[in-house]
Amino acid sequence: MTNSLNDIRHAKSMIFIGSNATEAHPVSMQHILHAKEVNNAPLIVVDPRFTKLAAKATEYVRIRPGTDCAFMMGLINEIIANGWEDKEFIRTRVAGYEEMVEVAKHYTPEVVENITGIPAKQTRRVADILAKSRPTSLTWCMGGTQHHIGSSITRSFCILQLVLGNMGKSGGGTNIFRGHDNVQGATDMCVLADNLPGYYGLAEGSWKHWCRVWDVDYDSIASRFASKEWMESKGFSLARWYEGVLGEEKIESPSPIKAMIQWGCGSNSNSQYNRVVKALNMLDLLVVIDPFPTIVAAVTKTDNIYLLPSASQYETSGSVTSTSRQIQWRFKVVDPVYDSKDDYEIMSLLVSKLGFADEFYKNIKEVPEDITREINKGTLTIGYNGQTPERIKAHMENWHTFDIDDLQAKGGPCDGDYYGMPWPCWTTEHPGTPILYDISKPVAKGGLPFRNRFGDVTTYVMTGREEGQLAAKGVCNPGSEVQGGYSEFKEVVPGTNWKTDLSQETIKNAINRGMAPFGNARARCVVWNFPDQVPIHREPLHSPRPDLVEKYPTYEDKANHFRVETRYKSEQNPDLVKQYPYVLTTGRQVEHMGGGAETRSSKYLSELQPEMYVEINPRLANDLGIRKGDMVIVESPEGAKITVKAFITPRVDEKTIFLPFHFAGTLMGESYLKDYPEGHAPYVLGDPGNTVTNYGYDIITQIQATKDGLCKVTRA
Amino acid sequence: MAISKHRKPAPGKTVSSGRRVTLNPKVARRSFLKLSAATAALSGAAMTTKLTGKAVAAEATPAYKDSETVRTICTYCAVGCGIEAEVQNGVWVRQEVAADHPVSRGAHCCKGAGAIDMVISEKRLKNPMKRVNGKWTNLTWDQAIDEITAKLTEIRDNNGPDALHFNGSAKVSTEMAYLQRKFAAFWGSNNIDHQARI
Repeated sequence: MTNSLNDIRHAKSMIFIGSNATEAHPVSMQHILHAKEVNNAPLIVVDPRFTKLAAKATEYVRIRPGTDCAFMMGLINEIIANGWEDKEFIRTRVAGYEEMVEVAKHYTPEVVENITGIPAKQTRRVADILAKSRPTSLTWCMGGTQHHIGSSITRSFCILQLVLGNMGKSGGGTNIFRGHDNVQGATDMCVLADNLPGYYGLAEGSWKHWCRVWDVDYDSIASRFASKEWMESKGFSLARWYEGVLGEEKIESPSPIKAMIQWGCGSNSNSQYNRVVKALNMLDLLVVIDPFPTIVAAVTKTDNIYLLPSASQYETSGSVTSTSRQIQWRFKVVDPVYDSKDDYEIMSLLVSKLGFADEFYKNIKEVPEDITREINKGTLTIGYNGQTPERIKAHMENWHTFDIDDLQAKGGPCDGDYYGMPWPCWTTEHPGTPILYDISKPVAKGGLPFRNRFGDVTTYVMTGREEGQLAAKGVCNPGSEVQGGYSEFKEVVPGTNWKTDLSQETIKNAINRGMAPFGNARARCVVWNFPDQVPIHREPLHSPRPDLVEKYPTYEDKANHFRVETRYKSEQNPDLVKQYPYVLTTGRQVEHMGGGAETRSSKYLSELQPEMYVEINPRLANDLGIRKGDMVIVESPEGAKITVKAFITPRVDEKTIFLPFHFAGTLMGESYLKDYPEGHAPYVLGDPGNTVTNYGYDIITQIQATKDGLCKVTRA
Repeated sequence: MAISKHRKPAPGKTVSSGRRVTLNPKVARRSFLKLSAATAALSGAAMTTKLTGKAVAAEATPAYKDSETVRTICTYCAVGCGIEAEVQNGVWVRQEVAADHPVSRGAHCCKGAGAIDMVISEKRLKNPMKRVNGKWTNLTWDQAIDEITAKLTEIRDNNGPDALHFNGSAKVSTEMAYLQRKFAAFWGSNNIDHQARI
């Protein structure tokens, strides 16, 4: 999020698109409802389903799954056509605007209606609300990302906020609600196939930076890899690791996958789940490290599987980063129960036995505090350097001293700090950055301009126009030595830049001069390194609208996408809808979390939400002869099937089927209960919804497209 | 450490868990959970301090004898709600909402209200296991680590470092997530990812 959950209290309007906060982030609702009730802020909810959040909306917009980008470009077009754009913000802080406007012109309210199903007058009305009720807080979740054009959809959200001038302002911002408790922290540490901690990438310079932090020889780390080329190439991702086992797709990797460590990660969140199960059973070694056996233990029938009981996070300690970028210390409540061990100890046992403990733990004696300090030392890109263990703990001990409206401590030991020192927190005196890109405050007090990351000048391929990428003259944070845009800081310490200077003198130098270490630039509407330089609509890979496939086709196929050849054009068959006539989408329930290994092992939560089901519109159910409580078969174009109970509800429209994705443990009438270690199966089992989520992956990130597939529904 | 010896709540102070939760924590928590879950489900919103305050202010009960309160953070979603855990003799006996936490302000959803269940659930794995001839068999930690590392080394020797895939976690601490990424670097492969990808 650029802002914070609490900051939504200052919104004058809110738009949620592909987010069901009421179920997925229930406690955030107090801040959302504060804005709605106290500020009288309109609450616009855009979703294919009439969700529990939609029930709280002042304006519910039903959208066809996968068409979010068309709607956003339509709003942008309508805002510009009426002269409602923030002209000064765009003139001074935005790049590639003219190119973007040309693309947006296509998306008139009538064109948007044809693509999205949203009436033209509603698009006009929403644009009017956003123009008159600024700032708007914009939130998305997986409903916005899990599409083959997810990266274009999310960019269109950001561009809307730029056009409205809602960035860097209290009550505005792009506020992505992250899912799991520490998905922000784990992402920042880059437990990712394409990055090193702090989003440093995989280039040689990045490896050398981290080797300096670890105080190990670069050549010794390089020698561990298959080659330098593979050291600098993306690995398999969570979305498609199993293709490296199955060998059914074209793979570019030095070896097929033979072994897997699955540490704190359910498996039934993966689409095409039956293929995941097949791969799990082909591994030579599978190690599950988790407090619960997870569905992996039950679906893997071979003797090659080990279960290591890790303690829960209440039986260990360390920091966690919330969706608001706040870093909190999760103090240990009790010692590990039974014969479980905490994560740090299990890692230490593995690393010691594998023989690289001395190098691995060179700077780490006190666990976990010395690890926090190593993170502080190296994670400069996103400002994880000022949040020392001592400061994080002090915030926890004094959380009552922080103001709920601006999250700043008013007096007390943390006076002036923002709660959790939201990153970037540039120095050990810095208060944290509560709102990203806010030029109303000095950088030393938590302000920031946009980052200069893509050069100082660019010529757009689309138009041949040349444009400076730095902010306009006079636009900067208060106290800035340079009155206007400036490049990122480098050569303050010779041979380094602000990201690689481990002395952190470069960062301090910038702050002391009232400037941001990463420069002061414009936000881009044109991303010249993406296939769609300006976001455009492309029909879902499995589209229910053959007439639109021709006009808005998908991409060309992509080789070596995280080591796997990925089909786009060759997968998009306009006739598929004849056999698989309904759109399939998925989502969450408040009672369960992720794959449900934890929550379905809670008897109370299991009692509250005990059964897998499929939501079907009453009209469709009647046409298909399906009555409430009937068992129905949902089948994917890949031929996978599940049997689930019908829940007849107008929450979904007559063309759309909804499945919650938290269940596992049965499939098509077969129970896996006997396959769990005895006494450790969850209380509630069900067919995994992700068995029938379709093939399809984002062109940039490879996130799976679970929200806009097709399916067939029949009575069981 | 954010551990404080438990003090008796001042008269009129809002305390979120009431007498129900003292005599038999299991039964009491169940009723508390039902209330919170039902509220969340029906209203579409989590409980507010106001609501819980009204319900229990008159029933505020003393702490367990010699107990300590530990401030910690819920492990479910990324809102980051505060939890006040009451611990007696190393046992987590009761949890309270953190009424003055700046983000959650005394609210919990039905999942967070049962955070204690993560520790006391009988479904938790109790010791290392492996499947032998189709049957789950207990192992000691030494056996498990010896066998796993021997197999990892053998696979690495035969197929190279890219024969391993590592799925890490959005449920571990930031420090542990960092160690997971560092492990892959020292192992020699970029075959590492976690839930953020999906």
